[in-house]
Amino acid sequence: MPKEKIELLQGTLDLLVLRTLAGLGPMHGYGIARRIEQASCDALILNQGTIYAALVRLQQGRWIEAEWGASDNNRRAKFYALTARGRRRLELETENWRRTAAMVGRVLADPQTP
Amino acid sequence: MTPWLDRLASRCRALFARRELDHDFEAEVEHHLAMTADEYRRAGVGEAEARQRARADFGGVTQARELHRETRGLPILEEMGRDLAFALRLGRREPRFATIALLILAIGIGLNTTVFSLVDTVLLRPVPFAQADRLVFIHNWYDGISFHDLSGVTSQVATWEGIQETNRSLEQIEAYDPFSVRQTYRLTGSGEPETVLGLNVSPGLFPLLGVSPQVGRLFENGDALKNAPGRIVLSDQLWRRRYHADPTLVGRTILINGAAVEVVGVMPHIDPFSSAFFPAVRIDFFQALRKDVERDWGNTVVQIGRAKPGFSIDAVRADLSLALALAKKRDSRRDQYCSIKAMPLQEWISGNLRRPLSFLWIAAGLVLGIVCFNLGGLLLARGAARRREMAVRCALGAGRHRLARQLLTECGLLVATGSLLGASLAAGFIRFLSVRSAVEIPLLQNLRLDGAALGFTVVLGALTTFLCGALPAWKLAQVDDLQESLREDARGSTGGRQRSRLRGMLVVSEVALAAVLAVSAGLTVRSFFQLLHVDLGFQPRDLIAVRLDLIGDSNRPENVNALLAKVAALPGVEHAGLTDCIPVERDRSWGLYPVNRENPKDQRYAGAHVRLISRGLFAAMGTPLLAGRDFTDLDRMDSTPVVIINQSLARSFWGAENPIGRPVGGLGRGNTVTTVVGVVADVRHDGPETGSGFEMYLPYPQVGETPSWDLLVRTKLTVTTLTAELREGLRSIDPDVPLTKVRTMQSLVDRTLSSRRLMVWLVGGFAALALLLASLGLYGIISYGVNQRTKEIGIRMALGADATTVQGQVVRETLRLALAGLGAGLVGSVVAGRLMQSLLYEVAALDATTYLVAATAVLACATLAGYLPARRAARIDPMVALRTD
Repeated sequence: MPKEKIELLQGTLDLLVLRTLAGLGPMHGYGIARRIEQASCDALILNQGTIYAALVRLQQGRWIEAEWGASDNNRRAKFYALTARGRRRLELETENWRRTAAMVGRVLADPQTP
Repeated sequence: MTPWLDRLASRCRALFARRELDHDFEAEVEHHLAMTADEYRRAGVGEAEARQRARADFGGVTQARELHRETRGLPILEEMGRDLAFALRLGRREPRFATIALLILAIGIGLNTTVFSLVDTVLLRPVPFAQADRLVFIHNWYDGISFHDLSGVTSQVATWEGIQETNRSLEQIEAYDPFSVRQTYRLTGSGEPETVLGLNVSPGLFPLLGVSPQVGRLFENGDALKNAPGRIVLSDQLWRRRYHADPTLVGRTILINGAAVEVVGVMPHIDPFSSAFFPAVRIDFFQALRKDVERDWGNTVVQIGRAKPGFSIDAVRADLSLALALAKKRDSRRDQYCSIKAMPLQEWISGNLRRPLSFLWIAAGLVLGIVCFNLGGLLLARGAARRREMAVRCALGAGRHRLARQLLTECGLLVATGSLLGASLAAGFIRFLSVRSAVEIPLLQNLRLDGAALGFTVVLGALTTFLCGALPAWKLAQVDDLQESLREDARGSTGGRQRSRLRGMLVVSEVALAAVLAVSAGLTVRSFFQLLHVDLGFQPRDLIAVRLDLIGDSNRPENVNALLAKVAALPGVEHAGLTDCIPVERDRSWGLYPVNRENPKDQRYAGAHVRLISRGLFAAMGTPLLAGRDFTDLDRMDSTPVVIINQSLARSFWGAENPIGRPVGGLGRGNTVTTVVGVVADVRHDGPETGSGFEMYLPYPQVGETPSWDLLVRTKLTVTTLTAELREGLRSIDPDVPLTKVRTMQSLVDRTLSSRRLMVWLVGGFAALALLLASLGLYGIISYGVNQRTKEIGIRMALGADATTVQGQVVRETLRLALAGLGAGLVGSVVAGRLMQSLLYEVAALDATTYLVAATAVLACATLAGYLPARRAARIDPMVALRTD
């Protein structure tokens, strides 16, 4: 584990959740949280509880839908799946993020800026 | 489509699925924790340790739950819901506070809503007619003649027709004949015969005003032709009462004065015309005004016109005076004396109520002010008692805004409930007022609790919340102060000086407002009593007026005389006389002039009320005969024409000289003169408030018949007994005579005072309520002070102060507050008195007696309010007081 973890930027959790669901198909909350942590190579401080608020937000926008099902060990769990609307949203947000990140990167790399 | 709308919708849905969503969340969290723990177990961590680590990774279930709830629902609403639930719990815990506060609020808001409805219906809202803002009332006006009775304000049919042709500013001019309702008719046929009132209206009047019938039709031009068959429109009230709302009555005929007339329609249930133009008069039917019949009757009509768009009232006035001049030029027959005045219809209907109603509105506003101060005081007192709670909640992390919002919510709930109660109270008051058919306030029947009144209640409620709630909320939310209060309470000190000063100010304001109302009520009541004691020129007590509609043979002088003799002989009847024109209800005037023998061309006309009477009338009315003689049976058609005049007319004609035997002209045909044979006292014909004008009395056998008499009977009998006796006694003379309009003269006089009487009751009630509330406020603050200082008083009594001293001190403290309020109140009363000057009758606005009585009443209430806690203070047992802590 690296010494310093990164705090998640405001508003990016929703994007990460969408991406995770797009990549791996329907998952439950725990799975999503773990998957995000793993994908970030455990470099991310994720307050796992906040994932559920993000899931509520995404459901309110009808970007994901939820359904109860059985997980490992036959436990009951809520499975979340991306909707068509959510897929469009993901594309849009991903593009936004790339542009924002590139812009921030360019400014930071600018030798003229002290 | 729009994501935020979706989100809002789902947030709202979440409000109703709280339990289910919470349950889902818990299940998910449990699953999450179990999965994490599984992972730790697989890594070889012990069972208990694994669970603990799982929780730590998750990072606070409670926070996550709060976050979840906040995200999915509407946090503001939920918080408000919690505040409301808390406020409700609080209300249940302190039922006495809640009851008193709600009662005070309900009365304050109920009264204000009622008064607002009244003001709105009568003054603010346009009169309930089509395009009411363009309607103008047009009436006759004699310049230079001081009194304006009905004959003075009505115009001739010819004048109406004239300006109809010549004006350019009005689309239409319609008319009605106000004299026609003074005439009564005999309604016979199915059922008991009864006396009914009918009004003659031009066929276009109802369409002009936008009044439509509930059954059948109103009038057509053909109905107004000279020889058209009789057709009438019934009032809703007569149709329901006598014909049981039978719709098939339309098209059938009924018998009026023995003639068959066809019922063509029925007026609407609430008839805006009658309620606006004839309040407190029950019009039973309408018939078409026939110009060709009334043309020769002199002044008979008043007119209502609609201005063309764009014509202001001034433009209409200017145009009408031109139109009248033109009309006179075209037709010399038109009365040279007539002139014309026009005013907006609204002003004609309710103009003279503007001042009294505005005053009433202000008075109601003062009551609401007292209610607010009282409620503010109560909340402040309760807030003081709750400072500990507030301080603890604040220490536990509740924000200042949060606390203030909680307090406002509590107050809002109180006011909302109070407004609801107040609105139902107002509905009751309004219902009560709207069926006062004997109160002469126009449009009273149209009074109802409508959107405007409800809106007004809501605004009042909001205002009250702000005034009562914001102040204590602001005081309590001062956090530094709150910390202080924790320490203060721990010490059990007397503290809160600033707070009690604020309460003191509220109570002083209450007393001041109550004093203003007490003085105003005093002035109103005194005016009313002055009016009750005005010498009317006749004695309305024990005087009964019986409307007799004599038709055909029964109206011949010899038969009328026989009837009168029969009545006078009935047991219990002291005096009886006939008149065609009883005070209050009917009036008309004729012109006459004193004959100048030296210069016969000098005919200085004066208009005087005229009454055709029988002998014995003055004795029955109790009108003193000041000189000369009463009429006798010898004043017949073929004897010398005679007249009796009133004192004012005698003075005006002949000054101090003896008027008996003097000739007057203008009454008979041609050049015949009439001789004055008597002088009687002035009669206040229009009720106590209006002075007398010129009056004359003519013996009916010399003038001709009148179809509709009033028999005035001086008797101690009740109306019912007299009616029964008359029915029995008159059977042999006229078995069909209806005896349904039998009233005490007192009730007629009362009717002229009805709006004033209502005012007295309302303002008096407001003042009583204000005094009660102010006393309650005083009691509250003094009693609270005594409670706070129990220990101090205990110590002083232990040190030798006796009960009387303590008691006196508490009462003095009360009086100190009361006097401060009274001082301010009396100053306010001077201002109020100036505003109500025009509403007073024979009472100075600065009437010393009234001020003295009002001040005494305020101080008496204050003493009582202070005495109760003072007695409690005097009974404090030093030992008990010192031990309790």
